[in-house]
Amino acid sequence: MSEFEKEEKIKADLEKKFQAANAQVQRKARVWAEIEPAKLPEAMAWLKAEGYNHLATVTGFDEGENLGAWYHVTDTHLIVNLKVKTPRANPVLPSVLKTFPGALSYERELEDMLGIKVEGLPPGRRYPLDEDFPKDEYPLRKDWKVEEYIAKNPLFKPEAK
Amino acid sequence: MSKITVPFGPQHPALKEPENFMLVLEGEQITEAGINLGYNHRGMEKAAENRTYIQNLYLIERVCGICSHSHTTTYITNVEELAKCETPKRALAIRTLFAELERVHSHLLWLGVAGYEMGFETLFMYTWRDREQVLDCLELLSGNRVHYSINTLGGVRRDISAEQKAGVIKRIDYLVERTNYYIKLALEEPTVAARTANVGKLPLEVAIERNAVGPTARASGLARDVRKDEPYLIYNELDFKVITHNTNDVFGRLVVRALELVESYKMIKQILNNLPEGPIAVKVNMRIAPGECVNHYEAPRGEDIHYLKSNGTDKPERLKVRAPTLANLQSVQYMLEGGWLADVPLVIAAIDPCMSCTDRAVVWDPKKGKKQVYGWEELRKMSIEQYKRRGVDFSKLS
Repeated sequence: MSEFEKEEKIKADLEKKFQAANAQVQRKARVWAEIEPAKLPEAMAWLKAEGYNHLATVTGFDEGENLGAWYHVTDTHLIVNLKVKTPRANPVLPSVLKTFPGALSYERELEDMLGIKVEGLPPGRRYPLDEDFPKDEYPLRKDWKVEEYIAKNPLFKPEAK
Repeated sequence: MSKITVPFGPQHPALKEPENFMLVLEGEQITEAGINLGYNHRGMEKAAENRTYIQNLYLIERVCGICSHSHTTTYITNVEELAKCETPKRALAIRTLFAELERVHSHLLWLGVAGYEMGFETLFMYTWRDREQVLDCLELLSGNRVHYSINTLGGVRRDISAEQKAGVIKRIDYLVERTNYYIKLALEEPTVAARTANVGKLPLEVAIERNAVGPTARASGLARDVRKDEPYLIYNELDFKVITHNTNDVFGRLVVRALELVESYKMIKQILNNLPEGPIAVKVNMRIAPGECVNHYEAPRGEDIHYLKSNGTDKPERLKVRAPTLANLQSVQYMLEGGWLADVPLVIAAIDPCMSCTDRAVVWDPKKGKKQVYGWEELRKMSIEQYKRRGVDFSKLS
């Protein structure tokens, strides 16, 4: 696969250095891989040193038994997508702020929308939810339903039907 | 001197959108800036999971009032990649055309806002008058000024005729002339330079460190442009330059945007003159096989990135949207710290945070429980009557 030399190299490196699972070159400029949460900060620091210095965003997800996140790191030419999973019973992920200070709002979003505790996140106001939104409800989890939330709050009357 | 914390926003005349900055001041100088967001959170990612791919198109269009085409194009690129659909070349060219018209519209709007924030209101009046020309182009092509709704699954919804092409080129020729004047003004007018030079400094290393995108990054000498780095649509066939500037300040951001306008005009003409023949849309299956993909796009404000996961049904499993302003706000914090209170509106405006505008209104009357839609003429008539009652007669103005 000489066509995707750069992609194959980063995939092989991720497998060798960080024991990445399910690594694949999806197409030109897209590499996907899954790593252990404990290796995440180290892997991010390594990627940054390799020139992948732009953390485009972090996508949190709910897969049922596991919660987790995709870290989309890029050098603007090639996007490396790193997946980390954490058990739903006790969801914890390490922070990558040491390497990417710009990730602050993305990590807060993980805490707020999916209830994944991010270790190493400085204290601060919540984002993006409202201050009076219940602290133990996480809207992006699949078992959270808008209808139930509206039904529970008698004050909340949507104008349009 | 003792420190004072001043809240700036969420409602503030200098901010066009709700966001809050906690500024710690020592005299007039800012020593610390904290940014609080979320006042505009509408839960669109959750909402997208409950709608079909085609319904989502209209939802995603409303993520932003100005980058409406940027968001739908990123979204639709993802959907089409997952559906393995071969989008016709002509559709891609029309999408690119809209993308560039949108950039012109957004940059002209920004020039006006920047002019307003630096106390140069004539510039604001000029650029917003000229912006009407590009809005007319968009209305001519799509029927709408702001939410063009041109994208659909597998292509675009409207074709471009020869008359429309002539109409757009005529208006672009006028804009080229006007923009040359703005560039001259930005580069030569001493008051502009005096107000913007060395304001809101963002050195190259910090821009990289804080993941800055778009014109904000390019004004710090960071040649980061998705159109060149990973060409999408038909950008690999177009001839254009990535504009960078190395002054790292608001002045640089002004110059970058003004020069980018010229590149966009060049591209619009290239696209219109070489529009590929063929169909404008193909049929796409409503159910999309499981898969995931991620695509980015150079919106007027910078990189816009979407992640999409499908699960075999006609609704997405997960959609993630990251708009460029969120990526740039970490840089704003840096730009504000060490600066002066009077520069705050200018610095914030310089990353071009989003706002929206439209000239049609729907009024909901809760007493009658009825909806009334007002068009431009009716709104105009109403305002003339309103002023007449107050003793001012505008009816003679045409």
